[in-house]
Amino acid sequence: MRGGAKVAVTQHRHEGVYIARGKEDALCTKNMVPGESVYGEKRVSVENEGDKVEYRVWNPFRSKLGAGILGGLDSIWMKPGSKVLYLGAASGTTVSHVSDIVGPEGVVYAVEFSHRSGRDLVNMAKKRPNIVPIIEDARHPAKYRMIVGMVDCVFADVAQPDQARIVAINSHYFLKNEGHFVISIKANCIDSTVPAEAVFAREVKKLQEENFKPSEQLTLEPYERDHAIVVGGYRMPKKK
Amino acid sequence: MSKMSFVLYESASGYGLFELVALDEIGTKAKDVQKTISDLSRFSKVMKLKAFQPFTNTAGALEEINAVSEGIMTENLKDFLVRNLPKASKEGKKAKFTLGMIDAKLANAVQEGTGLKCVCDEIVGEVLRGVRNHLTHFIKGLSDMDLNRSQLSLAHSYSRAKVKFNVNKVDNMII
Repeated sequence: MRGGAKVAVTQHRHEGVYIARGKEDALCTKNMVPGESVYGEKRVSVENEGDKVEYRVWNPFRSKLGAGILGGLDSIWMKPGSKVLYLGAASGTTVSHVSDIVGPEGVVYAVEFSHRSGRDLVNMAKKRPNIVPIIEDARHPAKYRMIVGMVDCVFADVAQPDQARIVAINSHYFLKNEGHFVISIKANCIDSTVPAEAVFAREVKKLQEENFKPSEQLTLEPYERDHAIVVGGYRMPKKK
Repeated sequence: MSKMSFVLYESASGYGLFELVALDEIGTKAKDVQKTISDLSRFSKVMKLKAFQPFTNTAGALEEINAVSEGIMTENLKDFLVRNLPKASKEGKKAKFTLGMIDAKLANAVQEGTGLKCVCDEIVGEVLRGVRNHLTHFIKGLSDMDLNRSQLSLAHSYSRAKVKFNVNKVDNMII
């Protein structure tokens, strides 16, 4: 997106997320490594009283978290300084935006099992010191327990039938009491024989059984089909 | 539940051995333990750091994490445990304490290798959640930043090795 003075960047309701207002509006995050794109995304430079700040455009068609934000999630539970455990990091496209959001004070522990995309992830993490790349199966958090600390938020996009269980065991190891989870559920990956809504309801139920308290559910139309994001808290205090 | 008096915590910076000085106070149900660990002032009264052994270099740390993630006890870990845990008063007599560990596989290996009695249950899991949360409070001279840096460097070497030594890699580029 070029346009110089024509583009103004304003803060999104979520801290660390921005909107570039030019000919078209675009979701973006403040680039932690100015001058570089991670996956070929466009960059926007804005001059503000002599300071040049660069933003990276976040494509909601390529990122479920991005789609969720545009869909109007109430809170993503990630902000500058947050520690996030990201399960299903893939090549790290969304991870790079989360890394922008949490900034130099935050940490993103990015777990990906596939070696092929893991290689891209490790290479990307070399340039972003707030990303801790972990090439390991998210089903076995014990294997990476030495390199992960307590986190504020668990994000999961693992597209596995036992996703709820994967999130649960990881949270048991690493998620703070009263921390939050954000998970993206692809109905097809869990059960393709019943309607998507039924799958979502079942997953929500599974989460409730594991000490999670879902507070928000959002389908990702028009960006993804039969996808939902579920957000909630972990080990929340009982209301008196 | 058998009496647990020590727990082992494996961090990216080194091994930590913690002693539960007031077992009664920490509670015997997972719910009570949860309450205790969420309050740092209460938690630091029932838990004391017994010993901490930092990893001296990256290569050494990598060796440890590779073994730990596979549930294998290294010589270094064995040495650390034997040196810092009280000895049984007589040969052949069982030690009176148990060592809490988070991973059943490693607990088995330690039990076989050292003869210590190891437990791995829900309570241990809860206690270690507390340790993970407050680790830098217990270990003097280890700041959050230090810990983070060692996590980062260890993760990079661990992950790089995984990617490099994968025999099934499918995307060998031919240029």
